[in-house]
Amino acid sequence: MRISSVVLQMHQTFSIELPSLQLPSRMETHLWYILPDEVKCTSLLKHYSQLLSPLEKAKVLQLRGDELKKNALLARTLVRTTIARYQTVDPRSLMFKKNMYGKPEVDWGNYNNCNSPPLHFNISHTHSLIACGVTVHVPVGIDVEDKERKIKHDVLAFAERFYSADEVKLLSIIPDPEVQRKEFLKLWTLKEAYVKALGKGFSAAPFNTFTIQSKSGTKGGYNLCKTSKIAANSLERTKKCNREWKFSLLELADSHYAAICSEDDQASGGAPMRVIVQKTIPFVEDELISESKLL
Amino acid sequence: MTTTFISSISMQARVSASTTRFSLKKHVSIFNNGKTNNLSFSLQCSMPARLAVSCAAKQETMEKVSEIVKKQLSLPDDQKVTAGTKFTELGADSLDTVEIVMGLEEEFGITMAEERAKEIATVQQAAELIEELVLEKTA
Repeated sequence: MRISSVVLQMHQTFSIELPSLQLPSRMETHLWYILPDEVKCTSLLKHYSQLLSPLEKAKVLQLRGDELKKNALLARTLVRTTIARYQTVDPRSLMFKKNMYGKPEVDWGNYNNCNSPPLHFNISHTHSLIACGVTVHVPVGIDVEDKERKIKHDVLAFAERFYSADEVKLLSIIPDPEVQRKEFLKLWTLKEAYVKALGKGFSAAPFNTFTIQSKSGTKGGYNLCKTSKIAANSLERTKKCNREWKFSLLELADSHYAAICSEDDQASGGAPMRVIVQKTIPFVEDELISESKLL
Repeated sequence: MTTTFISSISMQARVSASTTRFSLKKHVSIFNNGKTNNLSFSLQCSMPARLAVSCAAKQETMEKVSEIVKKQLSLPDDQKVTAGTKFTELGADSLDTVEIVMGLEEEFGITMAEERAKEIATVQQAAELIEELVLEKTA
C-alpha cells in the first residue's frame, strides 16, 4: 500500500472474490444500497472501474464533476456485482440491454441458464445513496429520494400540475408545509417506482392518470388506482384486470425514502411484499439492515 | 460565449407571389468556441418559403433555458452549458427534469404535454420545443 507523503488515503482492504448470494424468493424484494461517502479508497474505486464495459466507462466520463462520476461508477458497480453474486458469474461478463422503452435489463444471451429464474433489477440514486432492487419472475421498480430534498417550486402547484386530483386533495389538507413536502416526496418515490416497474416509459403512465394511496390499517401497504382516463382504453382495461402491483415504502439510512414496486405474483396469495435490505461496499462488506423501517 | 450555427444546406428563399411550402431535411453541426459538438440530427420543418424563420432555436431561448437549468440544479453561473449538454450530465434526476419543465413553462407561458416534455434531454431540444409551442400559441 502506497501512502502518499502529502495525503493519507483511507485504505479499505478488499477481496477480489465476490461471495455468492441466494436468489430472492418469489415474495421477496432484495434491496441493496451503497453510501458513496463510505467509499473513498482510490484503489478500490479503480478496481470497480475495471468491471465496467467500455461504453459504461465512457458514460461515466461524460458526467460533469468528480462526485457525479464517482456515483455513476458506484451505480454500475452495484448493478454488476449484485447480479453477478446471484448468478455466480464474473461481474465483467454481464451484458445489458434496454427494452423497447429504454428500461435497462440483463442480456442473458450468453448464458445457458434455462434453469435459473429470470432476475429483474432496477436502480435509483441520489447524490448520497445508490440503491438496487432485485426480484425474480416479476418486474421491479425502485426510487430513492433524500428526505431533506427541497422542492424549488410550490409543492401544491407542482402536485396540481403533475399529480392526480385525489393526490392533490390529500396533500392540500396537510397544514404543516414540512409534513406536506415530505408526503409529496413519498408520493413521488411511489409513483416513480411504479412507472419504472412498468418499464414502458413515462408517457405510458403519466403521473396524473393514477393515484397511489395507503391501505388503511396496513402499515406500508399501498394501493394503485387508475383514473378513468386509462380505463377508457379497452386494451389497458384488459391488462389492468390481470396485473396488480405491490408497493413498499421505507426509510433508508435515516436519510432517504425508498419506494419499491413489483408486479404481484398471484402465487404469493396477496401477501405483502417482504423487503430485505442490505447495505454494501462491493468486495468489502455487506451489512444486513435488521429493521427495515416501513412507512 | 458565442455559438455559431452552420447549416449545410442553404435556405434559398425564393420570393414568389404565392406561399411555397417545402420540407427541409438537414444535418446540423453546432460549433461552440471552436469545439465541434458533433451534434447532428435531422430536422423536418415545413414552412412558408417567404418567411425567414430558422429551424434551430434562437440563441436567446437557449440562454434562458440554460439559466433555468442552472438555477434548478444549483450550478454556478459560470458552469459551461452548451446546446448539446444533457441535463443528466449535469446531475439532473427525474424530479429535477420535471422541475425544469415547470420552470420553462412558467418562463415562456406554455404547457408541455408530458410525452413531449419527457423527450427533452438537452438544452437544444428544450429550446426547440419551447419555440414550437410559443409559435403555436401565437399562431
